[in-house]
Amino acid sequence: MADKSGINLDVINLDIRGQICPACLLISLKEINKHKGLLRDGEANLIVKTDHRDATRTIPDAAIAMGYAVFVEKKKGYYEITVGRKDEDQKA
Amino acid sequence: MKTKKHENHTYIIESEDMERKNEMLLQYIKEKVNQLLQIMGTKPLRDEELNDESLIAIDPIGIIAESFEQVLDHLKESNRQLQLARDYLQAVFDTAGVGISIIDRDLKIIKCNEKQKELLVNGVSQIEGRHCYEVYCGIDSPPLICPAIETLEMERAVFLKEVTKKGKVFQIVTSPLRDRSGSISGVIEVSMDITEKKRALEAMCQSEKLAAVGQLAAGIAHELNNPLGNILGYAKLLLMEQDTTEFQKNRLEVIIEQAKRGSSIIKGLLEFSHQKMPVFERISLNACIELALRSLSDEIRSNNIEILTGLGTVPYVMADPKQMEQVIYNILLNAIQALEGKGGIVEIKSEALNGSVEVTIKDNGPGIPKEHLSRIFEPFFTTKPVGKGTGLGLSICAEILKKHSSNICVESEVGKGTKFSFRIMGGVTGNV
Repeated sequence: MADKSGINLDVINLDIRGQICPACLLISLKEINKHKGLLRDGEANLIVKTDHRDATRTIPDAAIAMGYAVFVEKKKGYYEITVGRKDEDQKA
Repeated sequence: MKTKKHENHTYIIESEDMERKNEMLLQYIKEKVNQLLQIMGTKPLRDEELNDESLIAIDPIGIIAESFEQVLDHLKESNRQLQLARDYLQAVFDTAGVGISIIDRDLKIIKCNEKQKELLVNGVSQIEGRHCYEVYCGIDSPPLICPAIETLEMERAVFLKEVTKKGKVFQIVTSPLRDRSGSISGVIEVSMDITEKKRALEAMCQSEKLAAVGQLAAGIAHELNNPLGNILGYAKLLLMEQDTTEFQKNRLEVIIEQAKRGSSIIKGLLEFSHQKMPVFERISLNACIELALRSLSDEIRSNNIEILTGLGTVPYVMADPKQMEQVIYNILLNAIQALEGKGGIVEIKSEALNGSVEVTIKDNGPGIPKEHLSRIFEPFFTTKPVGKGTGLGLSICAEILKKHSSNICVESEVGKGTKFSFRIMGGVTGNV
């Protein structure tokens, strides 16, 4: 597992580049579950870095079903998926 | 598990059996994990992604179970918010001061608020699911002109400025109801009751009209009286001349008659325009009735009218006697004229009613059509032939009665006759 997550103020980073989907979904879900308190309260955002294209669909679908807001951004050679509290004023 | 150690071959068989069962169990768990992953929106795991070790290490069922817990929490919260929004919407829907209906493409009512029921529905208990034309218009098939149909066909809002339904006047707005894809799924119909507003507006127009008539009359009536008086005087003088031929006399009589008519119109206008304040005295309405009947005795006789009087024992009232006599005179004259010289019965009654006196004047003439009833108190409104009436009589009555804190009531049925009535408050001891 290439779990390089760590809490950095209000950002929880999860770098799963090199992981193949769907395992990356499970890892991301595990991380969401682990930090659900912070994420739900809007005290932190989870940023998942993945290079697997399918994950840009599976992770947002699952996170949205769990009631989070999700924002996907294409970076150089990878994707950044931000999961956070659902809020009208908050993008992520 | 059953073991039989004393028989070696049996032990091997049982061990193989256990391994097979474990495999089956692992396969079952993998299948269920994949099933759950699919529900969570992902693809099934390949064998190399989920071997026996990773099955324990990743604990996919544990992760998914915990995620499901969040999905459920989210659903519960969404439901709660949805319910709250529905409650708010329902409260607005039910307490809105306008009638609101939601109608589907087949013109069936999906929802209808309390105000709409109050405005447009009489005695229909089941409204939802029925056709709007059936419930609101009381007909069996869609009408030719219908704002809801127009909205569905033209895909735009329709505004009806004035619609009369069930004795009330409405403004109706229909707007298209669109589903998430943007296509029209029905119509939202909003009805506003403007009956009172319209009445107030009409009353305002009426007052404005009265004021304008007053100014006009005051300005010209007096000026016209003098030349008319001269015409009348000289015509009468000419009539007395010895050498006037019969033909000339006939012509002079026409001049006199027309000049008199002109005078009476001016008199009416002046009475109307002067808006004299009543001089209240302790009077008997029965005496006013008798005086009015006496003034009209020629008309009664020449028109072959039978007068039925029913003057009751009524209290004295505080009113202006001349004005009261004029009201009774005008209504009686109207009744006589309504009988068009064909003869008939005019009934005049007075009776005591809860401390006030009610005067009723009833004829068995042709009656007033419904469309004219609301206009008969308008100045210059007349249905009499040209030259027979000025259209001021009843508006003068209404004005006088207004100043006596009363109003004039009319009931009429075409072919049967008309009944006018008014009440004057008593309050003065002693009966007539």
